[in-house]
Amino acid sequence: MEFLNHQFYLILFSGIFTALAASFLGTFVIVKRMALVGDVLSHVALPGIGLALLIHIDPFYGAAVFLLIAVVGTWLIETRTALPPDAVIGAFFTAALALGVLLVPDQELFESMFGNLFAIKFGDAVFMIVAAAIIFILTLIISRRLALSIVAPDLAKSIDAKPNAFYLFFLLLFALSIALGIKLIGSLLMGALTILPAVSARNFARSLKSFLTFSAILGILMTGLGIIISGAFRFPPGPAVILSGIAFFIISFIFKRV
Amino acid sequence: MAGEMHSKTAGAGETVLEVKNLFVNFGAQEVLGGISFEIKEGETLAVIGPNGAGKTVLFRALMGLIPFDGRIKWREGIKIGYAPQKLFENSELPLTVREFFVLKSKNLFFKDRRLCDSMYHELHSVGLGPEILERQLSNLSRGQFQRALIAWAILNHPNILLFDEPTAGIDLAGEDTIYNLLYKLKKERGMTIIIISHDLNVIYRYADKVLCLNKNQLCFGEPQKSLTGEQIARLYGESAFHHHDNNHIHH
Repeated sequence: MEFLNHQFYLILFSGIFTALAASFLGTFVIVKRMALVGDVLSHVALPGIGLALLIHIDPFYGAAVFLLIAVVGTWLIETRTALPPDAVIGAFFTAALALGVLLVPDQELFESMFGNLFAIKFGDAVFMIVAAAIIFILTLIISRRLALSIVAPDLAKSIDAKPNAFYLFFLLLFALSIALGIKLIGSLLMGALTILPAVSARNFARSLKSFLTFSAILGILMTGLGIIISGAFRFPPGPAVILSGIAFFIISFIFKRV
Repeated sequence: MAGEMHSKTAGAGETVLEVKNLFVNFGAQEVLGGISFEIKEGETLAVIGPNGAGKTVLFRALMGLIPFDGRIKWREGIKIGYAPQKLFENSELPLTVREFFVLKSKNLFFKDRRLCDSMYHELHSVGLGPEILERQLSNLSRGQFQRALIAWAILNHPNILLFDEPTAGIDLAGEDTIYNLLYKLKKERGMTIIIISHDLNVIYRYADKVLCLNKNQLCFGEPQKSLTGEQIARLYGESAFHHHDNNHIHH
């Protein structure tokens, strides 16, 4: 039990809060059927990380700026043009991944994609916990409007509920949550942390409320368990979290009513 | 170029909606051309036409959801309730009927007591019991789903109801009672109703006016006068003819 040190608790608590924000947002990512878009979106973080490393600033900011630009682009393509968003995003964002691979130094590339790159300091942990809590609360506040905007955009417009604005707000929160997870589990796996709890929760949720609740609980459980495993066996936390999430996903099928 | 949307003040029994020379284009393609009609307070207007004739597009233009050319003039201060054919297809969201109603609340987070009270009232008026509230929207029968959508649309007492009837799937008995329900809303609340319908019998029985569409306007007026056999043949015969190159507009 020697891994239960100060550093471990910093990772555990910042991980749990990041998971709470990501898994709660993830329900809407699933409902909007943009799971793969979200996954590819996370690639955009990489060139941001590369640039941030080049000019010696915190990689979170580099990733956040690139992700925010990418979601605004996604939103514009989806709401203002007739272009199929998935094709455009797939091509454009994968190019960002290629650019990122060129920009990020070799020794840091693996870790920025799979986590554990930057030893999380106390200040980082506090920042992640506060930012994740804010993202979670904001998502909670917009969840009614967001659900209506996704399920029935015309009905949302008919009561003047501004579905496009809420959708943009949701994408911005989504981008920030991905940026938040980069130090912890890496950019490539953050998409999975967003999606896995939600698809598992979907298997036994019987209402919007239970869907949101189960997704958040599962996100916290899979992240907590993954980080404990990674601490105990000295794995990188990213893959451990995702594999524990897959375990929960498989278990969720037992509850699935066909 | 977006069309103009005007409102004017008028008394009871007067024109609620006036549409003049309405055009809607999707890109280079014209989906509605030269539509002109008006509807007076308390009237029921039936909109008919084959698949892809632009009926739902007309509704979306009337509500200002899509850009158009021409004039759409609603009476000032009018409240519109909209009951669409369907919601987002194959939704992954396990939404209960109660939650679906709560989504209409202006309160983003806290409980909306007024909405809850009128929710029970409107469910009752469309013939649904409170036990349906805990069921998932996706598990309702077609008939129950249509009623739930109507209840949702009339929740804040609109003056006008736009009802987009599904093409198929409602059994005759169910269909009959949906029309009785709409007739009741018209009688009891003086509601003006615009309905997209597929059933000619319904139109002769319930509609005060009929608008025949096939991208262009083929007829407008009282059903007995405007909807002649020749007109019907023109309307639906053309649809069969255009079957291969018609552009289905999915909503």
